[in-house]
Amino acid sequence: MTGGSTTTVGHSFPRMEGRAKVTGQADYIYNMRLPSMLHAKVHRSPISHGRIRSINTAAAAAMPGVHQVITGEDVKAVLPEPYYGPAFHDQPILALEKVRHFGEPVAVVLAPDPHVAETAAQRIVVDYEELPAVFDEVEALTSEAIVHEELKPAGTFADLKHLSGKRDTNIALDFHLNHGDADKAFAEAAHVFEHTFRTQQTMHTPFEPMVALADVRNDRAEIFSSTQSPSFVRFELSRLLGWPESNVRVKTSHLGGGFGAKVYVKVEALAMALSLIAHRPVRVAQTMEEQFYTITKHPNTFRIRSAVDGDGRITGRKCEVWWNGGAYADIGPRVTQKSGFTAAGPYDIDNIDIDSFALYTNRPPAGALRGFGIPQLVWAYESHTDIIASELGLDPVDFRKRNILRNGRPQAVGTIVEDGEFEAVLDGVAQRLGWNRPFDKGSGTKRRGRGVAIGFKASISPTTSSAIVSVNADGSVIVYCSTVDMGQGSDTAMAQIAAEVLDVPLDLIRVVNPDTDVTPYDMSTLGSRSTFHMGHAVQLAATDARDKLRAMADEVGLPEGSNAPLPELFIKKFGMRAGTVVGAANYKPDYAPPNYETGQSPNATPFWMIGAAGAEVEVDTETGQFRILRLVNVCDIGKPINPEVVETQISGAAVMQLGFTLTETMIIENGQLTNPSLADYKIPGLFDMPDVMENGFIEAEQHNGPFGAKGAGESGTFGVSPAIANAIADAVGVRITEMPITAEAIFRALREKAGRPLEDV
Amino acid sequence: MHFFELAEPASLQEAIGLLGDSGGRPVAGGTAVMLMMKTGVFQPERLVSLRKIESQYSQIRLDSEGNLRLGAMTPLRRIERSADVAAVAPVVTAAMRRLSNVRVRNVATLGGHLAHGDPHLDLPPVLIALNASLVVASPSGERTMPVEDLFRGYLETALAPDELIAEVIVPANPDQRAAYLKHTTRSAEDWPALGIAVALTLNGGTVETARVAIGAATDTPRRLTSVETMLIGNPHNDAVLQTTGDATAGEAEVHSDARGSAAYKRELIRVFTARAIRQAVEGDRA
Ligand SMILES: Cc1cc2nc3c(=O)[nH]c(=O)nc-3n(C[C@H](O)[C@H](O)[C@H](O)COP(=O)(O)OP(=O)(O)OC[C@H]3O[C@@H](n4cnc5c(N)ncnc54)[C@H](O)[C@@H]3O)c2cc1C
Repeated sequence: MTGGSTTTVGHSFPRMEGRAKVTGQADYIYNMRLPSMLHAKVHRSPISHGRIRSINTAAAAAMPGVHQVITGEDVKAVLPEPYYGPAFHDQPILALEKVRHFGEPVAVVLAPDPHVAETAAQRIVVDYEELPAVFDEVEALTSEAIVHEELKPAGTFADLKHLSGKRDTNIALDFHLNHGDADKAFAEAAHVFEHTFRTQQTMHTPFEPMVALADVRNDRAEIFSSTQSPSFVRFELSRLLGWPESNVRVKTSHLGGGFGAKVYVKVEALAMALSLIAHRPVRVAQTMEEQFYTITKHPNTFRIRSAVDGDGRITGRKCEVWWNGGAYADIGPRVTQKSGFTAAGPYDIDNIDIDSFALYTNRPPAGALRGFGIPQLVWAYESHTDIIASELGLDPVDFRKRNILRNGRPQAVGTIVEDGEFEAVLDGVAQRLGWNRPFDKGSGTKRRGRGVAIGFKASISPTTSSAIVSVNADGSVIVYCSTVDMGQGSDTAMAQIAAEVLDVPLDLIRVVNPDTDVTPYDMSTLGSRSTFHMGHAVQLAATDARDKLRAMADEVGLPEGSNAPLPELFIKKFGMRAGTVVGAANYKPDYAPPNYETGQSPNATPFWMIGAAGAEVEVDTETGQFRILRLVNVCDIGKPINPEVVETQISGAAVMQLGFTLTETMIIENGQLTNPSLADYKIPGLFDMPDVMENGFIEAEQHNGPFGAKGAGESGTFGVSPAIANAIADAVGVRITEMPITAEAIFRALREKAGRPLEDV
Repeated sequence: MHFFELAEPASLQEAIGLLGDSGGRPVAGGTAVMLMMKTGVFQPERLVSLRKIESQYSQIRLDSEGNLRLGAMTPLRRIERSADVAAVAPVVTAAMRRLSNVRVRNVATLGGHLAHGDPHLDLPPVLIALNASLVVASPSGERTMPVEDLFRGYLETALAPDELIAEVIVPANPDQRAAYLKHTTRSAEDWPALGIAVALTLNGGTVETARVAIGAATDTPRRLTSVETMLIGNPHNDAVLQTTGDATAGEAEVHSDARGSAAYKRELIRVFTARAIRQAVEGDRA
């Protein structure tokens, strides 16, 4: 696909940092060292819930080579309120009084040699009074075990204020949506369906683990972090320190993956506190294993009920979703609300009730992970959709099209859908699968099936992005923005937008790595918001610079429409190659917050992201083992800024979700995580890939997006899991309701169906 | 990580001298040792690296009787690519493709693979089915033992602390057919949930000799002798295969773990025993 009238936007330029990465020259924070730096190693809680009676650091401190041992009380001595978090100020930098999940940081050893620090950290002895713990999100609703005695909303979000000071509950947020009259719809329905689905806890597995270096001295904090949120880290650290934001500098580099793990504050507050105490630069670098204790993907339970009329129209839907947020809220309340309001699926349903609950449990915290809760919802509503179609004897694609949401109709939240090509996306998958052609369903012990699924997501809103575009006297251009390129190709996209507006070749553009002393504010690199929000800001800033260049051309007497090269223009103005022209802009889309009682909003999102998947599988009926013969992913991403990068975003998202569908699961037994390493937590390898994979997007345009574009980083995750479950059901007639989908689960279901359940002895 | 001393002796004899009472533990490729050290289950005081011992221990050759002799320090990748191995024991070559990944195979050695005593490894059942044996060296000289006798329990072997595996011998058997099936339940590259190896000779439509061995689902890799007994002297038709599958159910003690429940693994053994025998019979001579 090419860009039509544009010369840079819409064309597949190679990624700007690609060469440096594949030749091993790209710099990552993980490889960074500061002079006279100390390494920090964390002593973590072995229990899930307990009161700290005492911490004995003597043996660790006495070890040769140890600089200092630091506990939560030491942190409190220098930072009186050492709690952080984007939604709740509930997470202590190091545990204070209580531990709330296994793996929680309790104390730290600082040493010039990381191996000394690690060995010493194991010599710290902590005495706990163990408390009852709760791990399941549904049990957390009523459990005796209370994770936080008192809720502490951060005050950043208006809809959390009512929770302030609430006591003795594990409900961090309840979100309710009422659209139409669901009770009436159920009373009048021809058919009623009810199912419950569950998903498991998983981890982001960025290959560059979380890392931050801090150098705090003379009222100045310099933080080097592998973060997706430099501006938020600056905000939160300046709040903790009580310093102006100009005294805190947060710098990042290319990230070795983020996927939502590195949003908001992760290890930065700890690194800052340690450097503040030790008066030395400190490096906090996690191992792959430690990441399992830091941030994860929400497990959830979703009970979904549908009322359907005699014509196969869904007339009502009731959704109850329980999100397992772990011990600290992180951004879980946002997941509960933002994802909550799409829980009824991309269907035009007049009567909808949604209840969505964020729950505290004694698991490691859960937060944002590529899709922000959406894949967990699609898993349920698209499995449910296929069960209904099958019980009503309707073709799954026809049934979806009969009910699909269309432009001009209100989504459950009350916002009228614009530029949401749901049907075209679904058709795109069906067409690539050859849905209307006969399908070989296999024979004997090898049975084949196929399935589709479609999901959608609203953009996080309202959020702001700022950008600066400066034009040098030789006509080259520098883009300053705090969008973090973590592998999604955002630097290339921003450069393409600036190049297009200023009409300069792409290789004259440089994009500065985020550095809060230099690059202006951005809410964060998350939720597929950067192309739309920062893309807008860069477009506006570049336009501002272009306008200033035009004014300069007028000033030096160039005729209107003159295409004198930029270097000449600067020479004419400054008498030599000198001067800089700077354009700047802020961008924030319109937004209306949802009503607390009804969840309704006339403008809940600036754009909708849509993704569908189609899968063909072959199941071995003797073992339950299955192969994915084909996986097709089609999305509505508006108009692509860079078609090839978009395609790899879609395939990357789909493969990541494939891992969560098939192989990845954090196994928790007796309050312990039994597989915190890549040896036993299995991400998919090359042999786990589908035999054939197709990734594409449909012709579309987001009218309010920069050059018609919108976000594309997550849509490829939406449909994968239920498409596979639906294909398995088509192949062998059994329904898997809990992720991950394992061969054993299928085998057991097959035996159940045959009336010979597998007996465990 | 724990601090330790690393010795790098230049000969097998010297290495043996540093083991046992001298407190050393051997390390070959280090792939298993490092995993155990990282998780803290193994904290050695002294590691004796075998990397610098005589090069004959990392070579592959055929002896005068055509038997395959594999030095204990031979990296798995070299075994995978050896023409001699492909000629004498193509089932070993075939098993390599899905044994972990090429990065591990480049450094992991055959001796470490066997001495580790982990039941979740691919080659033990293969070598047991092929009736391979080990040359074991100690301060008092050398002894030979069948691979089958090496495994005593989970991560437990019959080797004394001051013994090293020096060589593995796979007997030549031109009439033998063999197959190995690996079943994983997590990712495709995972350690097996079940490995099953079959080596047999045929006389017309009848099975003349048979060795069947399983790994991964049981505490130690082991033979399924009841299956062998049912096969030998019988035709290799579907009816017989069915009974062999059924015979497995009672024979081996199977445990539940993250790769599957015991009940499920028992079903897998039943299915894969029959499939492995069929593949050995139908496949090319192996
Ligand atoms: C990520 C990963 C995935 C893997 N997946 C698989 C898989 O799918 N299938 C599979 O079969 N295996 C798999 N493995 C295991 C791998 O095959 C073994 O780790 C390897 O074979 C061990 O060989 P090594 O030379 O590295 O042994 P080392 O780690 O050096 O040693 C292992 C043990 O043997 C002892 N030892 C070493 N050499 C000798 C000797 N000559 N004599 C006596 N004792 C000795 C050591 O003291 C130690 O106890 C995997 C390993 C890793 C790390």
